[in-house]
Amino acid sequence: MTEDLQYVGGNYPVHDVAQKVTGELVYGSDFSVPGMLHAKLILSTIPHGVVKRIDTSRAEALPGVIKVFSHENAPMDGFSRARIHPGQDMSFYDETLFSEHVRFVGDRVAAVVATSRATAEKAAALVEIEYEELPAVLTVDEALAPDAPAIHDGGNLLFEHEIEKGERPDLEGAVVVSSCVSTPRIHHAALEPHVCVAQGHSTGGMTVWTTSQGVYAARTVIAELLGLEYHRVRVIKLPMGGSFGGKTEYIIEPVCAFLAHATRRAVKLLLDREECMIATMVRPATRTTVRTACTPDGRLLDFGAASTLDSGGFAASTPDYSIHMCKKVTKIYRVPHYRHEGRVVYTNTPVGGAARGWGAPEMIAASEVHMDRVAAALRLDPVELRLKNMVEPHDTDLVTGLPLGDARVRECLERGSVAFDWAARRARPAGRGRIRRGVGVAAGAHKNGMYGAFPEASNASLKMNEDGTFVLNASLHDTGCGVVTTMRVIVAEVLGVHPDLVAAGEADTATTPFDYGTYGSRVTYVVGECARIVAEKVKDRLLTAAADLLQEPVERLGVADGAVHVRDDRERAIAYRDIARLSQMRHVPSIAASTTYYAVSNPASYSVQFAEVEVDCATGLVAVTDFLAVADVGRAINRGMVEAQYQGAVQMGIGYALYEHLDVDEKGRAGVDGFKNYHIVNAPDMPDVQVLLVEHEGDDGPFGAKSVGEIATVPTAAAVVNAVNNALGTELGDLPLTPERIIAALHGEEVAACSSC
Amino acid sequence: MQLVLTVNGTTYEVEARPTARLLDVLRDQLGLTGTKEGCAEGECGACTVIVDGRAVDSCMMLAVQARGKEILTVEGLAQDGELDVLQQKFVEYGAVQCGYCTPGMLMSAKALLMGNPVPSEQDIRVALAGNLCRCTGYTAIVAAVKAASGQDTRPLMEMPVEPGELAAEAVTDPDTLAAACGIVEAETGQPPGGPCSSGGSSEMLGFHSAPEGGE
Ligand code: FES
Ligand code: FES
Repeated sequence: MTEDLQYVGGNYPVHDVAQKVTGELVYGSDFSVPGMLHAKLILSTIPHGVVKRIDTSRAEALPGVIKVFSHENAPMDGFSRARIHPGQDMSFYDETLFSEHVRFVGDRVAAVVATSRATAEKAAALVEIEYEELPAVLTVDEALAPDAPAIHDGGNLLFEHEIEKGERPDLEGAVVVSSCVSTPRIHHAALEPHVCVAQGHSTGGMTVWTTSQGVYAARTVIAELLGLEYHRVRVIKLPMGGSFGGKTEYIIEPVCAFLAHATRRAVKLLLDREECMIATMVRPATRTTVRTACTPDGRLLDFGAASTLDSGGFAASTPDYSIHMCKKVTKIYRVPHYRHEGRVVYTNTPVGGAARGWGAPEMIAASEVHMDRVAAALRLDPVELRLKNMVEPHDTDLVTGLPLGDARVRECLERGSVAFDWAARRARPAGRGRIRRGVGVAAGAHKNGMYGAFPEASNASLKMNEDGTFVLNASLHDTGCGVVTTMRVIVAEVLGVHPDLVAAGEADTATTPFDYGTYGSRVTYVVGECARIVAEKVKDRLLTAAADLLQEPVERLGVADGAVHVRDDRERAIAYRDIARLSQMRHVPSIAASTTYYAVSNPASYSVQFAEVEVDCATGLVAVTDFLAVADVGRAINRGMVEAQYQGAVQMGIGYALYEHLDVDEKGRAGVDGFKNYHIVNAPDMPDVQVLLVEHEGDDGPFGAKSVGEIATVPTAAAVVNAVNNALGTELGDLPLTPERIIAALHGEEVAACSSC
Repeated sequence: MQLVLTVNGTTYEVEARPTARLLDVLRDQLGLTGTKEGCAEGECGACTVIVDGRAVDSCMMLAVQARGKEILTVEGLAQDGELDVLQQKFVEYGAVQCGYCTPGMLMSAKALLMGNPVPSEQDIRVALAGNLCRCTGYTAIVAAVKAASGQDTRPLMEMPVEPGELAAEAVTDPDTLAAACGIVEAETGQPPGGPCSSGGSSEMLGFHSAPEGGE
């Protein structure tokens, strides 16, 4: 490490921690406006059909009910919940505020607006809806059958793509291995349900308070649906109880905004847990077959994959999500030839869309479970096989053509193997009794923003107050993992002040500059670099002002501890507040700067993870007994929160591997309606997760930092599945590895060989 | 229906629907929104409060069942602006991310420590089994509860700095200031006030005592 950093790399709690531990913080679900009304959604109870009749008379007769809205009295223009800027490619306008043609159990049919939540709920039960049922297709195979009923005009094959890169080498004598992995539809399970409050103003404009990951895009979607100019729609981000991608797209905001606009009142739309599960968005279900060829000594020659992704009733972001599944493997392994075809398919099931990792946990489950099959076929240790094929720093990604940057995946694997004592643990016998033990490893890769695919940039301004404190103005969207703190630390480091002397707020389209929001692992890498640059600009202005006051050239000056000093005579220092106040007398009213930063690269972030499990062969239950996550983070800005975020990401990945799934029954109804039948890993079932950071700060993020939040969960499920297969000698590949599947595999039933593939 | 409840040491008389849950009365009628709702079915623990010394899911308890009882919510943990040791340790150990589970976690942990001042790690994990968290993986939460019971002393995080504490840190040395003031005076033709008028710059920010009419 070249620089001496004072604040970067420290350990800081999230910025609003004091308000969180005292219960003071007003989250979206706590937020209210005087005179606010409450809305309740009415959801389709059938998977596919047409609404023939809606009778709202009994509901509207109830005292306190303002109105019931449905396709009969709401705009029916299509919108894309996933569009982040107007005119964006790959936006599918296949959804309306309320559906007349319902496409899954949970599709929005109507909403009741009433003076209280209780009244709205009561009235919702009084709305009578008559459907004409249509035949439903509940799996991608049914949806793709030649005579399948079409869910949307244009058929059920929503999107197809294919990529082929590199030259296929001579495969003579190569060892060919095939595998298939399926991953489940899962609920993001942010602890706070989805919520939005919108207020229609008598001016015709409106204010929307929401727990979203991108207020600027929400504004465009809302404004266009309501026929308003963008400046009349102010969207403000509120503190939120988690998102994990589930609140990235605009699902309830347009509905709530419409209800407020139509009633010219303030309306709160707060979903319950079941509604969050079926009526917002799920991590899409996928299945991927992989076929590789390698030399007998374990060098990959060819990598072929075919994936199918279940989009559910609407497109949301799934086409882009599917494309990103093709951009993972070649970030990790050198492969002479890579081919991937993907299909995205509509079904009459809950909508799939943005989820932490954006296709990476799905694809890495397929590719890393596959790598263990290859290792088994070649009788190689899984670590050894991976090391033979891993990229080196500054390789180019075969698929995207972009430099991988200071890619340290190999170092992650090497250091992790030592720290986890991999060789010794892997050599230990699994046991023959009821409890079998195994270890597994998996490597994952993800990105740093949207450079290469998208005009990636951010904006920020920073001003100094007259007392030497700072205010950063950027459109931050903290989902709960410390974005605001990260920005404060970055600015503090540049300016040589404690992070608590830097204020930063969250996004508000009326007051903070344009930014895309918390997407695509871009915040630290792109917004953070923007914050660093704007802080450098303010520092330049401070130094210029101080140079006049100290009668010294700027080159001889430095900053530390809230003051500018003369570098070789540190006694001669002038505090920022004195610079500010004296500058005001010299007609420099404010020391401030603004900047736009255009991203210049998109390196890979990596994580290599090691799991140890114990499988109870009698019950099929798996206990994860030890876990190590190694993280190529470039540089940790806030070390404590990086580790904490990794621990949570591993918990999510263990759930993905072992417990979580949101299946539908033959009537299209979700088999789950709450946490009583949807299992989130709880405290007794979680191992203490060790986190090992690999830091080389070789890329273009602030102080060398790279992304953390998404990559952290990317390889977890694959590591756990590989550990279970190691313990049992099985080839399980259908996630989650429920006790039933494990017992079936132990009894030699035909499950592993791609029951669903 | 008239109800008398004692919440965080204050007695309230409220008018509640017979079907109102304790959670509704706390949040909607008393404005104590620190207690959260995550599932409404007794599964997530976000709504945990302490009733007569026991941790309960306030979404599963009717308000009438709390009649005449002593209720402690997250808002009642800190005393006279001083955080409870559990709150303090949740901050120091990085046990809070989105924080939506935090009030419930704190109340379950508080009930645990009230009955078992030195719990084992297993006791802690079992006591928190009904409190779901999607952000942290529980490692930091368990460590914080251990620390609150005096069993761990390696805080990870820096505590946020108290207001005013950092203000006086940056100093201007008097000679440098005098020279700078001279430069400004020469430039503007006026004696500068502010930091040049009294006692130098090292005073607390916001309390600058430029004498009235001092220029
Ligand atoms: S809201 Fe009460 S337990 Fe979840
Ligand atoms: S900190 Fe987010 S749910 Fe626990």
